[in-house]
Amino acid sequence: MASKTEKQVWETFVRRSGELKEGDAMPMVLRDLAPGRKKYRMRHVVATVRRNAQEAMDLLCVRTVVGVQLPETWGVKILRDLPIELPGKPYRDFYEALKAAAEK
Amino acid sequence: MFNDTRDFIEALRSSGDLHEIEKEVHWDLELGAVCRLACEKDGPALWFKRITDYSQEMTAFANPMATWRRVALAFGLPPDTSLKEIYAEYEKREGRLIPPAVVKGGPCKENIKLGQDADVYDLPAPMLHDGDGGRYLGTWDIAVSYDPQTKWMNWGMYRFMVYNSQYLSGFPRPTSHFGKVFQDHYVALNQPMPMALVIGADPISHFTAAATYHLGGEEAALAGGLRGAAVELVRCETSDLLVPAHAEIVIECEVLPNASGLEGPYGEYPGYRTGEMGNGIFCLVTAITHRNNPILTIDATGYRDDSSTITALTGAVAIKRRLERHGVPVLEVNIPRESAVHMAVIGVKYGGKQVAREILETLTSRRALISKIFLVEADLDVYDLGKVIHAFSTKCHPAHGIHVVHYEGRANTLTPCYSQRERAMQKGATVLYDCTWPGEWSREWEVPVKATFDTIFPQSVQEKVLAEWKSYGFKD
Repeated sequence: MASKTEKQVWETFVRRSGELKEGDAMPMVLRDLAPGRKKYRMRHVVATVRRNAQEAMDLLCVRTVVGVQLPETWGVKILRDLPIELPGKPYRDFYEALKAAAEK
Repeated sequence: MFNDTRDFIEALRSSGDLHEIEKEVHWDLELGAVCRLACEKDGPALWFKRITDYSQEMTAFANPMATWRRVALAFGLPPDTSLKEIYAEYEKREGRLIPPAVVKGGPCKENIKLGQDADVYDLPAPMLHDGDGGRYLGTWDIAVSYDPQTKWMNWGMYRFMVYNSQYLSGFPRPTSHFGKVFQDHYVALNQPMPMALVIGADPISHFTAAATYHLGGEEAALAGGLRGAAVELVRCETSDLLVPAHAEIVIECEVLPNASGLEGPYGEYPGYRTGEMGNGIFCLVTAITHRNNPILTIDATGYRDDSSTITALTGAVAIKRRLERHGVPVLEVNIPRESAVHMAVIGVKYGGKQVAREILETLTSRRALISKIFLVEADLDVYDLGKVIHAFSTKCHPAHGIHVVHYEGRANTLTPCYSQRERAMQKGATVLYDCTWPGEWSREWEVPVKATFDTIFPQSVQEKVLAEWKSYGFKD
């Protein structure tokens, strides 16, 4: 866990350009980039993002659907957690399940 | 035959096919990078003795059968056995089944952790490639599942990634045997499916898990037949599944019928990371059991990985059997290692358009893993890729020697040349390049005579030249 002075660094995957929208509360999957045994631990959240991280925000790295890291680092503020077991169907669109859980 | 991974490691050490790394290596990309480069150099199998963040009791063994030498050794053959002989040996043993033996206990039960005490972060799962969706714990594994209707115990080798301490996500293809059993018998009833992810069993058991084998076939019995001895199985702690008793690690799970998790993307056996992401399965870990000083087994997926040998070999034999059952005059099938299981060379007694179409339709009527087929005649060694290229270049008619079948719902979704939309719809195509002479051509008047030593000279001249070869001043 980052100390109060250090920003926590998360990472997310997006399937299309423009998927991240500033200001909107969005369901997301984040993975924790803090060093240690549990690096890459996944978390389901509702969060807001900004292109430039503000003071109360953690940092967010973004990767595309083929795993390429995009150059821009965003700011992310986690508003609430979503269940780790997202109601959904196997082999179906995970992002639809994420969206449905956020709307409940 | 090898009882476990440790026996196999000893054999590889004796033959010079093992490299042991004492230096500390980080599980986060460094270990994966070492494995990947070793694969690309056709290097030995690797045993990492010290992994960052983990005690020295926990080690990792990578690229177990990524060369034909190591495949030969796993079969108990000399390491320099030819590819053709390895294929023949597998074919010879494949029909012989020895059912597994259920035992009361085994080394995989030396340590048992149940429920919340079972933490997957206790295992040094590597981040194998930069940009993968997660740390892949299941790469050289056996995913054990059970069809309650047919009482069929299925083994498969599928990828599974760490989600958090208690959850994994994975991608056994929906058209795979695992995927079919899960969807038909558990999702349909909204019931969790018990699964055991076995890591570090004997090498032949992993081989059969990755094998192309018919629906309903018991891979455990196939493994017994290939080994010449029954595989010993022991019951899981939290389900009635049976797992290899000498495995290094067993992760017992419930595959959830009504939950979703992100899975992938992942750098896969075709040698690319294609953006298969999100549409997998989600599993709750219910127990982890392991041997003392457990060894995590890893396949560094990508170009020239373990799939390039073992899936190629079993896939080729499965294709041959299928074609034989459909009356195709097949002689031999080779899936070249460099093709990443995307291409097959099929040798037939006689070819022509009808045979070509029959082969294409037979091999694409169910799930179609191969997207390129080269059809060649009996006079060509299917293992000699130089000769295959010659046949393709000279005998495949560019206008009417190329046959294509399109399909939907059964394509290989990891095929890099398919678009993301095609992969989502399991849509694809298979092309067959007919490198045989048309059947209606007269052998005396129309079929070109091959200008090679063994075809364009009388037998007497060939014999004379061969007998007197060194007398011409040649050394060999």
